[in-house]
Amino acid sequence: MKPDGFILGLSTGTACIATCAPILIPYLLGEGKGILGNYGTLGRFLLGRLFGYLLFAVLAWTVGSAILQEPVRRSLIIGMAYILFSGLLIVYGFFKKAGASCKGDCDQVRFRRLSAIRPSWLPVAAGFATALSFCPPFLLAFTGAADQAGLAMSLLFFFSFFLGTSLWLILVPFIGAFRRFAVLQTVGKMAAGSMGIYYLYTGSLLLTGGLKLW
Amino acid sequence: MVKKDRAGIMPATQQPGIGKTLLLCLPMILITAIMLSQGQLPSDPSRVTAFLAAFIFINAIFFLMIRTGETDRWRAILFVTYAVCFVISFITHLIESRGSMAISQANMIEGLTPFCHIVIPMTLVPAALTKTIIFPGTIVGTKTAIASMFVLWIGSSLALGRGFCSWFCFFGGLDEGFSRLFKKARIKKIDLRWTYLPYAVLLLIVLVSAVSLAPFYCQWLCPFKTVTEYPEITSVKTALQAVIFISLFIALVMVLPALTKRRMQCGLFCPMGAFQSFTNKINVFEIRIDPGKCIQCKQCIATCPTFSMTEDTLAEGKTGMTCVKCGKCIDACRQNAISYHIKGTPLTGGKEEIYRRLFIYPAFIFLATMSGGYVQDAIAKTIKLFTTGNIF
Repeated sequence: MKPDGFILGLSTGTACIATCAPILIPYLLGEGKGILGNYGTLGRFLLGRLFGYLLFAVLAWTVGSAILQEPVRRSLIIGMAYILFSGLLIVYGFFKKAGASCKGDCDQVRFRRLSAIRPSWLPVAAGFATALSFCPPFLLAFTGAADQAGLAMSLLFFFSFFLGTSLWLILVPFIGAFRRFAVLQTVGKMAAGSMGIYYLYTGSLLLTGGLKLW
Repeated sequence: MVKKDRAGIMPATQQPGIGKTLLLCLPMILITAIMLSQGQLPSDPSRVTAFLAAFIFINAIFFLMIRTGETDRWRAILFVTYAVCFVISFITHLIESRGSMAISQANMIEGLTPFCHIVIPMTLVPAALTKTIIFPGTIVGTKTAIASMFVLWIGSSLALGRGFCSWFCFFGGLDEGFSRLFKKARIKKIDLRWTYLPYAVLLLIVLVSAVSLAPFYCQWLCPFKTVTEYPEITSVKTALQAVIFISLFIALVMVLPALTKRRMQCGLFCPMGAFQSFTNKINVFEIRIDPGKCIQCKQCIATCPTFSMTEDTLAEGKTGMTCVKCGKCIDACRQNAISYHIKGTPLTGGKEEIYRRLFIYPAFIFLATMSGGYVQDAIAKTIKLFTTGNIF
């Protein structure tokens, strides 16, 4: 497992739970299944998410291998990407009001429309759709995956990111425990913002290394 | 209904007499005498003077707490003194034993780093998963060993909940001291969203420490490294760490508390404080507001140093879970509407002072136990500095 991807996923996980749960919970409640049944639905949702993430890992690796072959250029581009996206993550974490999240209202509306149909593959599709949210943590994960040495490592990085975020979602079937989504979302976003500071440091090291400042 | 006078003090008619106060103080006098002397008086004259000064000072504080019915006013004096004396005692001890405040890699490998309670939340997950304590200290054998701090933490958490932060923590007094520098707050409007930051920091450090198997907060974020010990500066990384420690200390412990009159490090950053908030759920003591007496003056909201009193909590008749049980809101309430309370007992019944005493006895024992040694040591070293010109 890649610790960087895993920690990034874990630190943003409560923000994910706070945004994914309002999508998942109405569906789970609507299905009216027990905890085991809810886990089945959650499993399909996570499968869709994993599929989406792995697709992006391939895309990240393609970008990395196509344009980031030369080491100095690689350090500069990845360093700048880290700084840019970690800056976005810090703004997202500390300065954006709760509710304006990466997987916010649009996803919920989309899902509500889809849930009227309610076929069995719907959770897979919803998971896939939420994976394609270009929020700052996701963009940082994309940059991290692009910075990996090979396709397998990129896939592993996104898989670790997926695991980190998914650990929190395992708790969703116990619906009652998460009444205070707004609080969780604020805490999760601030943790993500703090993680952004770490990535800002990593990006600065890469950039200064590329520029040979030390 | 008994109201306080303009200064916030109980009317003289409500205060216990000198004799009764002394009687109520007797257990504390005996406990502190045994604890400070550790069974025998020191032979060094400066140590005897330090012992007597610390003994009288601590007991005078407790006497005033009982006599006036005020808690925070007197607690704060000892709490701030404790923090200052801790810094003096700790730094001089480090320089005496190591020659520097900096800790080298060799010291860490030898397990010579004193364990501090802020590390506790970071050690739990790795300890459960790997049966390893991720800290370069010793498990047993000294006062600052890992096991000693865990025992003290468990005991104080059970007895005080998050009162730990106002009656035990040797760093909290620094924050509190700076928050009392000015009479009026220069910054009054603070977005309460920031009160969630300690939980975010807690989440981050627990996760990163669990994955990296290293105490992340100590390595990168602890403002108190500035006044205790820090890693020896041998690289750009360690220099950057030192810059972060000093910047955080200046901002969170000195400047912001002075400008806001709040404990900003404790209320808006400290992950141990956030962790400790959960222990308020299992502690029997709480702060309650009697809606029958409250006139909604909101003085308690304005004075709460850790943002634990808000309009929402006021409406619920209690403090938030981050309450440090310092007693500042109780002292500030002229209507006597706020009081220490034992969970599960009726709010009314005129037993407020009994509940307060039931809380301040164990709380003060913790404060006196923790502070006594450092206060004595700092006084002895100061006397030595003035008489010999050398603090060591």
